[in-house]
Amino acid sequence: MKVNVEKIENNVATLKIEVDAGEFEKALDQSYRKNVKRFNIPGFRRGKAPRSLIERYYGPEVFYEDAAEIVLSEAYKKGVEENNLEPVDYPRFDIDQIGKGTGIVATAQVTVKPEVELGEYKGLEVEKMVYNVTEEDVEKELKALQEQNARLVSVERPAQTGDVVVIDLEGFVNGEPLKDAKVQNYPVELGSKILVEDLENSITGMKAGETKEVKVTYPAEHPNKDLAGKEVLFKVSLKEVKEKELPPIDDEFAKDVSEFETLEELKQDIKNRLEERAKSFSESSLRGSILKKLVEQAKVDIPKVMVDREIERLIMDFAFQLRLRGLDLKQYLEASQLSMEEFKGKFQERAYNNVKTSLVLEAVAKAENIEVSEEELDEELAKYAESAQKSLAEYKKSLKEEDLEHIKDHILTRKIFDFLKSHAKINEKIVERIVDNESESEEESKLEEQA
Amino acid sequence: MTKDPHDIIIRPWITEKSMAMKEQRKYVFVVHPKANKTEIKNAVETIFGVKVEKVNTMNVKGKRKRVGLHEGKRPDWKKAIVTLKKDSKPIEFFESL
Repeated sequence: MKVNVEKIENNVATLKIEVDAGEFEKALDQSYRKNVKRFNIPGFRRGKAPRSLIERYYGPEVFYEDAAEIVLSEAYKKGVEENNLEPVDYPRFDIDQIGKGTGIVATAQVTVKPEVELGEYKGLEVEKMVYNVTEEDVEKELKALQEQNARLVSVERPAQTGDVVVIDLEGFVNGEPLKDAKVQNYPVELGSKILVEDLENSITGMKAGETKEVKVTYPAEHPNKDLAGKEVLFKVSLKEVKEKELPPIDDEFAKDVSEFETLEELKQDIKNRLEERAKSFSESSLRGSILKKLVEQAKVDIPKVMVDREIERLIMDFAFQLRLRGLDLKQYLEASQLSMEEFKGKFQERAYNNVKTSLVLEAVAKAENIEVSEEELDEELAKYAESAQKSLAEYKKSLKEEDLEHIKDHILTRKIFDFLKSHAKINEKIVERIVDNESESEEESKLEEQA
Repeated sequence: MTKDPHDIIIRPWITEKSMAMKEQRKYVFVVHPKANKTEIKNAVETIFGVKVEKVNTMNVKGKRKRVGLHEGKRPDWKKAIVTLKKDSKPIEFFESL
């Protein structure tokens, strides 16, 4: 059995495979044993006919297909191993010559992982967004806590913005009661814009026990088409006006809402948490920036199959998410009026980026000999084990092979980033606000919204 | 008129059983129903160039087969089991099967 790499072009490797007659004969025998049961020859029970007779009856070619598959896949495997190829697709075989006495001459073509031209990946100029936590942020956070802990107290005065009112409400259009627009004992916070603005405005100033009729004209662009541009008559009776009583912010408050004794401590804790968040934000912005630069300048000719596979994977993922919510992909496609092709197109760019990113990172690891040692893996596992409250050995046992691979991957990625970071020129950029710049999740939520 | 040996030996009888009997130097043929053991012996010897020790024959009655109301009958035939001598070469034709 001889396998030679003829050439590698456009990420397609061509292998020349030659199998001599003897080896082919063995494969034919295997193929015979696999297929005897299919052949029916008078005078013999099924599966008992000798090979020579079957060949006489049906022609020797009947065994070629399976035999060729057996030897070729074996030869192909050998060729891939010997030449360190990294196929990303199934191979395609072309048989040039096949015969009982002559063996097989064939060529195999397979798409292999593309070479990545990394470019200058050391000393990347990247941006790190930095957000400095201010006193104001802490105050804001405290205010929110205060709001959450507000108590509602009934008051005997006209309702004003910020109050919570309990109302009965009934809506009419042209004298007809409106469907779904009759509620009783409904608490509403004025100023929260849950009700139509006009309605809210007219409730403001009412006292408990009062009843009022309000005409509201819905704006033409109102999302509810049944109501848009129409005039609706609401009968409102106000049952109760409640005022929000905010607790004073002091040590007592701190004790109530947290495990801390004093307000100072609570503030410090809030500050720490905010800083933590800001830090992880700048960390991820840095990562994003590195990745973007790195991927942008890298040149790689990605085979279509890789992108297609990634699309498949993304769609499977998406379908899985849908199923969690009790939908299936077919229904989703119908509802959003997309054909499978269009739907796939939506993932095209993301899939391409995913593939490129992973190829580029891999190339960096290769170029810099970044690897994950067993010790490092153990170290990481020890952390997980601790949080799962198990011993390391126990925890390791509970993991599957692919889980381990996954964790290893994770560590590797981290190490790659550490390397890139230490070799990058980092420009810090102060930002006003923490923004999520992960366009990926945006895209996903958009799709999900449609669902 | 001597009969042509090919008229006596009609065809080999190839079945699982007959293939297994090769081990005992026994070969099975469909032969002319009127042929006797001597004729069969001679015919096998001339056609295949082997030495025959003995011939056993039997008449096989055709099965009665019915399709609806119509009853038919498969033809009767004669089966011959030819045993070769120990020092004879095997029949080549069978070896290739």
